[in-house]
Amino acid sequence: MKELEKLLDRIVQRININLRELDYDVSPFIKNLVPLSQMVKFYAFYGITPHHPLNFEFRHSSLSGSYFLGKIRTSNSMLYKSDVRGDELKHRGTVFRYQKFEIPLSRDEGIDIEDSFLVKTLVHNYSHDPESLEKFFIKDTLSTHYANIHGSPSDGCFLGPFATVDLTTIRDCVIGAFSYVQAGEIGHLNVGPGTVWIRSPDQFNFLYRHSLRNLNPYINFGADRPPQGLFIDFVEDRKGDFQRVFDVVKLDPPVLVPRNASLDRFAVIKPKIRIGENVLVAQRAYLQNAWLGKGANAQENCYIINSRLEGFNVTAHGAKIIEADLGENIFVGFNSFLRGRPKARLSIGKDSIIMPHTIIDIKKPLAVPDGHLVWGLITDAASLQANSMTLKDVSKIDGSLIKGNLSFEGRGASFVSAFRDRIHHILEANGAFFNGTDNSGHAQKNQNISFNTIQPYTDGELEGLFPTIIIQP
Amino acid sequence: MSDYLVKELMVPLSEYATVAEGSTLFDAVLALEKAQEEFDHTKYKHRAVLILDKDRQVIGKLGQLDVLRALEPKDGNLDDINELSQYGFSSNFVRNVRKQRRLQASSLQDICSKAAKLKVEDFMQAPSEGEFIDQEASLEIAVLQLVMGHHLSLLVTKARKIVGILRLTDVFAAVFHTMKECENTL
Repeated sequence: MKELEKLLDRIVQRININLRELDYDVSPFIKNLVPLSQMVKFYAFYGITPHHPLNFEFRHSSLSGSYFLGKIRTSNSMLYKSDVRGDELKHRGTVFRYQKFEIPLSRDEGIDIEDSFLVKTLVHNYSHDPESLEKFFIKDTLSTHYANIHGSPSDGCFLGPFATVDLTTIRDCVIGAFSYVQAGEIGHLNVGPGTVWIRSPDQFNFLYRHSLRNLNPYINFGADRPPQGLFIDFVEDRKGDFQRVFDVVKLDPPVLVPRNASLDRFAVIKPKIRIGENVLVAQRAYLQNAWLGKGANAQENCYIINSRLEGFNVTAHGAKIIEADLGENIFVGFNSFLRGRPKARLSIGKDSIIMPHTIIDIKKPLAVPDGHLVWGLITDAASLQANSMTLKDVSKIDGSLIKGNLSFEGRGASFVSAFRDRIHHILEANGAFFNGTDNSGHAQKNQNISFNTIQPYTDGELEGLFPTIIIQP
Repeated sequence: MSDYLVKELMVPLSEYATVAEGSTLFDAVLALEKAQEEFDHTKYKHRAVLILDKDRQVIGKLGQLDVLRALEPKDGNLDDINELSQYGFSSNFVRNVRKQRRLQASSLQDICSKAAKLKVEDFMQAPSEGEFIDQEASLEIAVLQLVMGHHLSLLVTKARKIVGILRLTDVFAAVFHTMKECENTL
């Protein structure tokens, strides 16, 4: 295992040299994050479909329990139970439009992971960096449990547990636990834990900061210990259910799946599931007693338990919905945690937007009215009042708004329309609008994926590392 | 201009307002008032207090702005407001947030009463490298250091020991005097 130890040491130094300006040392955080003995235990696997390029190149890397789809390259990296899903990468010939520029791609885009350590991280979407169209790079980066790197090239960064970077190029940044950043391009920033920041220059700027005192019981992360809190306990409690789906080579779908819907064989399906038309259930999603109406989706690391989603619902990566009833066209953002109780259900009215990294955790029944924007931490009717607005009222903002821990500047109408467009795009990409012939998306294209497994050296100096593997059609 | 030396323009340390490390802001204000009373009233007023350690070495300077800064609310919200510009909010937005917070805060009397008890070390400015000047230096060098460092005063040294303070206002008076002399000779 000597080589693996050397590799980890090298990755730490490369990240630290990038973060020296922020005076940030990742060494104490990386220690005990994943025991190196774990890196030997799990096979990695890759998907084969006729719809996505088959182009993998793994060099001097450890890929334990990780999943790959599309065009992916890893070198001098460690990936632990991470999902690198390249089904939205740009294709050769696509014209990338940005401001006044229109640039055709000269080759298929690929995800390029170099000198990085990703732990239980999701990598998805495509590079939104206009300066790096064909390469979605992740370089000199450490990302920890359940972080999302979504359309966000990263160089020299540290992502805390449950952090999300979305459509943003990040360089030499620290993104704290449970922080969400969508800001185009940032550099040399230390974004504190629990920050939700969405900025479109000259259009709008949305910033909410969870109070650390309130956030700590849900997720906290310090030196020399793995992440802790309710979020971690929640997923750990259900870890055993995933064991079976990863241990068995072939599993028959445990429920009836319409021909135009997709249920990934690496999702956990517990009793009483109803899957509607054009539904997409991604790998590592967890469904228990769930009703998914037409065009709804459950993406990676989503948990939908004792809940009903009426249709055209986006449940973004890592979101959890428990004991809840959701109307149509509801967006539940990345890593949100919505928890009702058996005798205190949560209901959310149609056309509402639950901002990324929102926590709703109630002990008495609570209803979010139709067409609302909801953010922050909500535990009762009073905190809902303080942390929500009708989308109509948000659209009227032209200037600034301070509401509790929320700061907003710019045009509310632009903010709402950006979200609406994004939600529509996600539903479209997921195949929610498929009509039998047109508008097919992931729900239709990801149906017949076959999976191959690859394994590491199990002994000797190279223990835990995978041999160099190049896979092409 | 080179006729003037720093030692001829400086205020000697003994005439300047000083307080010991560990003093409160109120002690500093009293020291400033006392020094002013004892100082030549025809000259400009002192605008800062020097902070001395137990060996009577200068460890910092407390200016008028530093005292006003002590009146700012001290809760965690202040850090949050300061961070807003790093997240791309306009200076106008940040100013408005500050105003709102100030309006929500206590009366000026309450704020002053609380601030009076705060320690000088928490608000003083430690002297930087370019803030020291030898007492034998010429006025030109003093002007250069004040302009380059945007300082309001310089600490004057003799054999590495601080012996006085050279104020912007005294340097300006000397420059003004020289200018007038030059014009009159033409």
